[in-house]
Amino acid sequence: MNAKPLVHIVDDDASLRIALTRLLNAAGFETMAYASTGEFLLSRVETRHGCLLLDVRLPNGPSGLDLHAALREQGVDLPAVFMTGHADVPSCVNAMKAGAVDFLEKPVKAEVLLEAIGRALAGDLVRRAARNEEMRLKILLASLSQRERQVFERVVAGKLNKQIADELGIAERTVKAQRAHMMEKLDAGSTAELGRIAERFSQMRDETTAK
Amino acid sequence: MDFLLKNRSEFFPSAPVVYMGVEKSFLDGMLRPLPSDVVGVPVEFDFSGTIEQALKWHPRSTRLVVVTGTSPPDREFERQVREITKRFEPQLVIEHLAGLPTPQVLKRLAELDSRSVIFTPGYFEDGDGRTSTPRAAVGEMAANAAAPVYGPFNTFIGAGIVGGRMPNFEAMGREAGGEVVGLINGTAPADLKLPATMPSTLNVDWRQVRRWGIADDMPPGTIVHFRTPTFWETYHTEAIIALALFLLQSALVAGLLFERRRRRGAEVSVDHHRFQLAHASRLAMAGELTASIAHEINQPLGAILSNVSAAEIILGRGTDGLEEVRQILGDIHRDNIRASEVVNRLRALLAKHEVHHDLVDLNESLADMMTILRGEAQRRRTTLTIRPAVPAVEVYADRIQVQQILLNLTLNAMDAVSDEADHRRTIVVTAERRDNRAAITVSDHGHGISQDHLARLFDSFFSTKRTGIGLGLSIVRTLVEAHGGRVWAANAPEGGAIFQVEFPLARQSSLEMPDTA
Repeated sequence: MNAKPLVHIVDDDASLRIALTRLLNAAGFETMAYASTGEFLLSRVETRHGCLLLDVRLPNGPSGLDLHAALREQGVDLPAVFMTGHADVPSCVNAMKAGAVDFLEKPVKAEVLLEAIGRALAGDLVRRAARNEEMRLKILLASLSQRERQVFERVVAGKLNKQIADELGIAERTVKAQRAHMMEKLDAGSTAELGRIAERFSQMRDETTAK
Repeated sequence: MDFLLKNRSEFFPSAPVVYMGVEKSFLDGMLRPLPSDVVGVPVEFDFSGTIEQALKWHPRSTRLVVVTGTSPPDREFERQVREITKRFEPQLVIEHLAGLPTPQVLKRLAELDSRSVIFTPGYFEDGDGRTSTPRAAVGEMAANAAAPVYGPFNTFIGAGIVGGRMPNFEAMGREAGGEVVGLINGTAPADLKLPATMPSTLNVDWRQVRRWGIADDMPPGTIVHFRTPTFWETYHTEAIIALALFLLQSALVAGLLFERRRRRGAEVSVDHHRFQLAHASRLAMAGELTASIAHEINQPLGAILSNVSAAEIILGRGTDGLEEVRQILGDIHRDNIRASEVVNRLRALLAKHEVHHDLVDLNESLADMMTILRGEAQRRRTTLTIRPAVPAVEVYADRIQVQQILLNLTLNAMDAVSDEADHRRTIVVTAERRDNRAAITVSDHGHGISQDHLARLFDSFFSTKRTGIGLGLSIVRTLVEAHGGRVWAANAPEGGAIFQVEFPLARQSSLEMPDTA
């Protein structure tokens, strides 16, 4: 992990954009600044660790809220901090529902802004970690043979080796061997650990279907 | 008369005779009474009335001087006067200068003091046998006398006497004429109602009245001679007319002045109300713009805040970032000016300024309006475009009120397009020159104006908006007309409304540049 976190700033006001860039750079972040949603979308979106800092109201095009929603739709899951010139309760509620980290009222104090950015970045790290674990599990599961996979599913369902052997129409001894292979591949030391992995996996599946 | 009475049977047999101017004493002295067909009114010279009047006018008199002559008629007069003056004996010293030579008379008259009054019937012949007419004699006396002279004959008037009771010859003539008419109409001479004598009338010479300081109030019926009529008497009708005209004119002038004053008062009051209303409307407008104005101010303030924090962090790390801090300070300065410009523009718009006419470049007004409304246009997701005039047009106007007109019409247009689809939420504000006028056009792509609304659009309290009170456009019209301009609205053929304002151009000469565009 070489780079500093990257903050994407979208604000139509050049002066404010530059000032925010300066502040965040000074605070140790990398920044990319855009004057409009369109400008943001035209550039190749860097999806590495970072967050969005969006002005709710953007002239001549979609708003910050629109941009955030569109990015999520595309699977770009960067956390967003919103800024607004005036407290607008409905758009604030919408933004928070859509997963906004914070909703800041302009003019924004540096401490408040940096704190919000910090929270967003922390969230991004957690999200990324979860995403990494997920990937690892997916890879591990993908490495199982079809028979090993069948055994895994029945083990986590709480079935005994004998039952599994009956169901699959194979010898109980074969089941035992494949179970050992499977646990080695999945890096699980015990049946309990295997259960946790299975649980995580089913959660992932649920999330996917929920989407 | 004697002759006629003796000879009438020869010359005019049986013709009735009307006499006039015959003295009563003459008739009294005749032996035979007059025949019944000889009629007339005898004349009686009123010696006693004349003397009485004289004493009335000179109440402090102690001496009455009577001058008579030596001829038989003179003696007759003397006799009559002596008879009359007897009754004044107790109060007055009666001095008769009868039959004296003229020089002696004149000498005596010149010696008289102011408490004397002179009465004379004149004389035909004096003590030296010198003859004259009574009038000439009276004239000499009056010229020398130191006291007022009175006489009983109206021939004396003008000779220097004050006056006297005298037969009125005009009345006499009228009376005799009446008798003649009566006789011709067949009235029997004996049936004519005749007065015993002709009444005598008081005659005075106004110059003498003045000279002797006699009171002005003449008894009624007095005939005043030689009165110099006063201006008033001569021209009183003309004077009254002139005076009446003068008064009428004065009244008219006063009335007009009053009216003018009242009108000026009313105008001042109207101006004041218009001013107040315009101000109130600007306040209301600012209220509508609060959100976007806050945004306009918060943007630079936010930038300043971030810049300051950034500078703090950079400086906290040491002196490496001084160049960047210098840039930051420059930006802070710029943003500060930007924020204060918004505040100043707003304050200019909201302050109760005195109306101040000056040269106003409409392009500047458009730019100012854009600054104020940019945020609001964004907030309402409306595209606001301005098209300045080339070359620039100038009007002589109050800058703030022009600003208000522009803001009002443009905000109105924003309201008009608020329910439209995105691509129709566009407003174009244009400044241009049209002949000798400067025009502003505000066009939108909204739903336009219905025909029955067009006529009432600029009326007070007419509004098609749910929240409008209907003063905006009425104030716009008031302000435009106060600048000698006009404003009207129409529908564009391609949809939407067009509001047009025309002002008189300010300096035409500077705008006569050849149009190279």
